[in-house]
Amino acid sequence: MAQQHGIIVLFDVENALRTRSLDGNTYWFDNMKFLGSAGVGTEQLVTIVPGTHFSDGSQATEQVLNWLPAVLGAIPPTVPRNYLAEQERADDRRTLRELASLDGEGGVSDADIKRLQRRVGKRARKSGGGRGLTESKLLDVTGRTTSDSGAYNYPAPVITDITGPAVAEKIMYPAQYGSPDMIYDGWYWAATVDTSRPGVYPYTMHVQLHELVERNDELVWESVDLTCGSSLKITNDPKRNGFTGAGLGVLPLPPVPAAG
Amino acid sequence: MKHRVSIVVMVDAVGALSDRTLHNGNLSLVDDSSAGSMHQGTPDLVTAVVPGQVIQWTPIHVDVQTPVEIESIEFLSGVTAPPPAGQTVPPHPVDSAPFPAPGAVPGTEGDAMGSGGYENHDLLVWEGIVPYDMTPGVPYRYRLSLKLHEGSNSVLHIDSPALLRV
Amino acid sequence: MPPRNRQSERRPTRPVTITAVVDPVAALASENLDDNLYLYDTNKTVGSTGFGTPELHSRVRKGDTLLWNVLPLECETYVALIDIEIDPRIAEPTRKVYPGTDIVFWTAEVKQDITEPVPYRLSFLLGTVSTPFTPTARPALAGPADEERGGR
Repeated sequence: MAQQHGIIVLFDVENALRTRSLDGNTYWFDNMKFLGSAGVGTEQLVTIVPGTHFSDGSQATEQVLNWLPAVLGAIPPTVPRNYLAEQERADDRRTLRELASLDGEGGVSDADIKRLQRRVGKRARKSGGGRGLTESKLLDVTGRTTSDSGAYNYPAPVITDITGPAVAEKIMYPAQYGSPDMIYDGWYWAATVDTSRPGVYPYTMHVQLHELVERNDELVWESVDLTCGSSLKITNDPKRNGFTGAGLGVLPLPPVPAAG
Repeated sequence: MKHRVSIVVMVDAVGALSDRTLHNGNLSLVDDSSAGSMHQGTPDLVTAVVPGQVIQWTPIHVDVQTPVEIESIEFLSGVTAPPPAGQTVPPHPVDSAPFPAPGAVPGTEGDAMGSGGYENHDLLVWEGIVPYDMTPGVPYRYRLSLKLHEGSNSVLHIDSPALLRV
Repeated sequence: MPPRNRQSERRPTRPVTITAVVDPVAALASENLDDNLYLYDTNKTVGSTGFGTPELHSRVRKGDTLLWNVLPLECETYVALIDIEIDPRIAEPTRKVYPGTDIVFWTAEVKQDITEPVPYRLSFLLGTVSTPFTPTARPALAGPADEERGGR
């Protein structure tokens, strides 16, 4: 197929962090069930990659795969990633405006201060050496800033590598790419596939989860590196002419064309 | 004169599936003929051709993740005129039936079955040579059927495009 | 390895999230949402069942906050959860959007403990079709005491 395969991996991050394993905590999807992908929506996805070749044996369509991580129980990826930063800034601006207006007559009530304190939220700090997340305020799963460190929205897992037989045997060539697409934060993993060798090829995805941990009275993001896996199933068929079922021929025109 | 003319079939698959029609701006046909085609960018494209040229149709999807393939291309004949069944595009009455391909190999024409046991219309190359006995100056309209994903509503067609020998 | 967080403790502050994964193009082409809807929740360890099917049974208890959201398989295709019909004595879902966006989610509080599973109905808008798609299969809320048959 000439279109791109999107492979979505839904992570149960909370369970994965608790068990320190992705076993039973990922659900895999592609939109190729109708072409023969198996196990869509489960941990055992086998993604079909139907290849084609021309009569001279050359590869006819280049396959492209994209991997898109998502978190169960978090703000969905349809909400732009930079949303978190935007939302913090919007809250800060609102808080500053309200602080200014508190200065007016009538004094300042405790309730006002408490409300603003809540909105100022808690900030998480990244631990030394950790990767991926900048110091930021906490948002809860409804997109509001929170001061409750037990309610934070899990950040999306970061794919750090794709390895395994499908890569070692040069069936696919995965790499991380930059993109202006704000839905996936400008970074995504994609691969082109060599469809000339039919078969089933497993691969391993290396992901980094992020956990908010209280340490020395401070909240810090800790990274947790885990792996999960899936497979590609390569098929390959020769291209054939749609009109003749075989090679190139004369267009099947009628003796008299339809009026109109 | 060009040896080969490409007709690109661009489809907004989600729009077409939602509206259940290839009209409403959901389909756009463009060719690279240098012989004076008409209605470029519309479903009414008339591609100017000359005998001996190879004409190739290629589907392109507007959103990259949605599969769009050509199900069939059938030239409409003015000889027989039974009402077609299974119309999916009501606003366009058709007074002609698809003409069976004279050179078709029985049982293989349009067969898109892949070795994995699933249909794969990407296997089919839609191209053919313009015959020398084509009447000049008369549009040969064809039914272009597209398959968008799979299911009861997945195949849609239009009867408006044509080839015209100049 | 970082020390384990207090993950196993009950966290009343984070809602029980029910996520509907939808393949909108497949559903439009086949006019069949049941085969193209995959439901999940964050309560697997508590005993929810039917993961990856349209008949998810979410194990909840009185006082839980529930949150429903949607994950489309084709991220460029419009999918929205437009209605949740459930016995109002159990929960009264309200529609919300992520602040500053038009992306919808629904929340509700479980008003009482549940003994028998309470089926409910989800309705979605897909693509540009104005008629909602409603799967035939029903998800349900189930109580902690309720021992369901079969591990789906």
